[in-house]
Amino acid sequence: MAFLSHLISGVSLGSIYAIIALGYTMVYGIAKMLNFAHGDVIMVGAYSCFFMVSRYELPAVVGVVVAMVVCTILGVTIERLAYRPLRQAPALAVLITAIGVSYFLQNSALLLWTSNPKVFPSIVGNGSLKLFDGQLSISYTALLTVVTCIIIMMALTWFTSKTRMGKAMRAVSEDKGAAQLMGINVNATISMVFAIGSALAAIAGILLCSAYPTLSPTTGSMPGIKAFTAAVFGGIGSIPGAMIGGILLGVIEIFGKAYISTQLSDAIVFLVLIVVLLVRPTGLLGKSVQEKV
Amino acid sequence: MMLKVSDLHVYYGAIHAVKGISLEVNEGEIVTLIGANGAGKSTVLQTISGLLRPRTGSITFLDDDITALVPHKRVERGLAQVPEGRRIFLSLTVAENLEMGAYTQRGADTSVGMERAFTLFPRLKERRKQVAGTLSGGEQQMLAMGRALMSSPKLLMLDEPSMGLAPILVEQIFSNIVDMNADGTTILLVEQNAQMALSIAGRAYVLETGQIVMQGEAAELSDNEQVKRAYLGG
Repeated sequence: MAFLSHLISGVSLGSIYAIIALGYTMVYGIAKMLNFAHGDVIMVGAYSCFFMVSRYELPAVVGVVVAMVVCTILGVTIERLAYRPLRQAPALAVLITAIGVSYFLQNSALLLWTSNPKVFPSIVGNGSLKLFDGQLSISYTALLTVVTCIIIMMALTWFTSKTRMGKAMRAVSEDKGAAQLMGINVNATISMVFAIGSALAAIAGILLCSAYPTLSPTTGSMPGIKAFTAAVFGGIGSIPGAMIGGILLGVIEIFGKAYISTQLSDAIVFLVLIVVLLVRPTGLLGKSVQEKV
Repeated sequence: MMLKVSDLHVYYGAIHAVKGISLEVNEGEIVTLIGANGAGKSTVLQTISGLLRPRTGSITFLDDDITALVPHKRVERGLAQVPEGRRIFLSLTVAENLEMGAYTQRGADTSVGMERAFTLFPRLKERRKQVAGTLSGGEQQMLAMGRALMSSPKLLMLDEPSMGLAPILVEQIFSNIVDMNADGTTILLVEQNAQMALSIAGRAYVLETGQIVMQGEAAELSDNEQVKRAYLGG
């Protein structure tokens, strides 16, 4: 029963990583850049929700919606001001800018909200579902996290395979020049991806802080890095890859903590990543498309 | 006049790739730009479609100056390009590639355009659900042309459609171009295969190192000794 309980915790934590990883992987897919500020957008989302729910005592739904709106605007603004002017610049310049934006967000948060951690209330309360005569208990937060993750995955799959904008997103990811020749507005499509990724970051931030209730300006950085790892693990640029990578990473982390060593759990996570990349450099679901002559 | 390019100068960094080119395309015509590799033919097309920006010069399409217009707005106005190397979306299916071609036809029924593409290129119909990366080179060229037609362009620009294809396929692609023109699409064709291009075109421009060195009726140019020597292998 302990095993099952760890597995559920792992899948739940992994679902959060997966939702964050989607933002990394979609942005990488379309803009070919690593948006290292993504983790900090999560933190901003969590603070937005925190103020709505704890300070103004509004319902959790309002907190979630406000956080998503704030993060969407933030993500699109970051892209417009910091990344778009560098569209033709070398990858290194963009990477350094992304790290700069990350520090900017963290330090702004420090200035606005101080370094004192806030206690984040779970948006679904602290109750749990008891199974097998109470031998197995699953917190409502964990349940909500997994269900949200599944819904997001289904929605994104539908979006990218069935809608005009979703297909345009895939077209731009593959060849921006050709996409322009089809009449696709490449800048608008990239903005849309930042909007989706940032809205997902808000959701991830709220779920993360519901499960691990301390909220501080650096809350987003470690989960951000882990989710980035998950995206690479699953194959950067691949949406199902981010999902699988995220969940596997969460499970490995929790199992590592439970059965090997609490201190070494992060090291184990990254070790697995290194092994996977040695065997499959493109990640689990990463693909390299070959051109026909 | 459908398209008028005046005194176009295009640079790649410090390289002066196009040096003052002027050309015109009238409605219903097939016009070809021929010339050796590196003469600047593709650069001219990419500047007309907006992927490249000219340093000076102007581009007028259907009486509007489009020199400063972003590429996707040019497509909305009826200008489509089949790029060099086809550049179809390899990870999308054949049908999805065609849908992308109709991207500017917001809300319109794509099935009419798709049927037209399938009539011109029956092979695509058989493979509509296949991922485009699995198509042969010839099929990919057909898809690239079908895709460009989906926006119902007034002017279709083709960049080296015969590149890398077997002679029998080249024949087919050129007969497709003639068919598309007969359907009412004006064509601006860039080709290294000058013989084939001159055989279907009404008028032609000959490019050398970024400049137009000759222009006129395609039939006349095919008989011109200089053109024969330089581009027709005889």
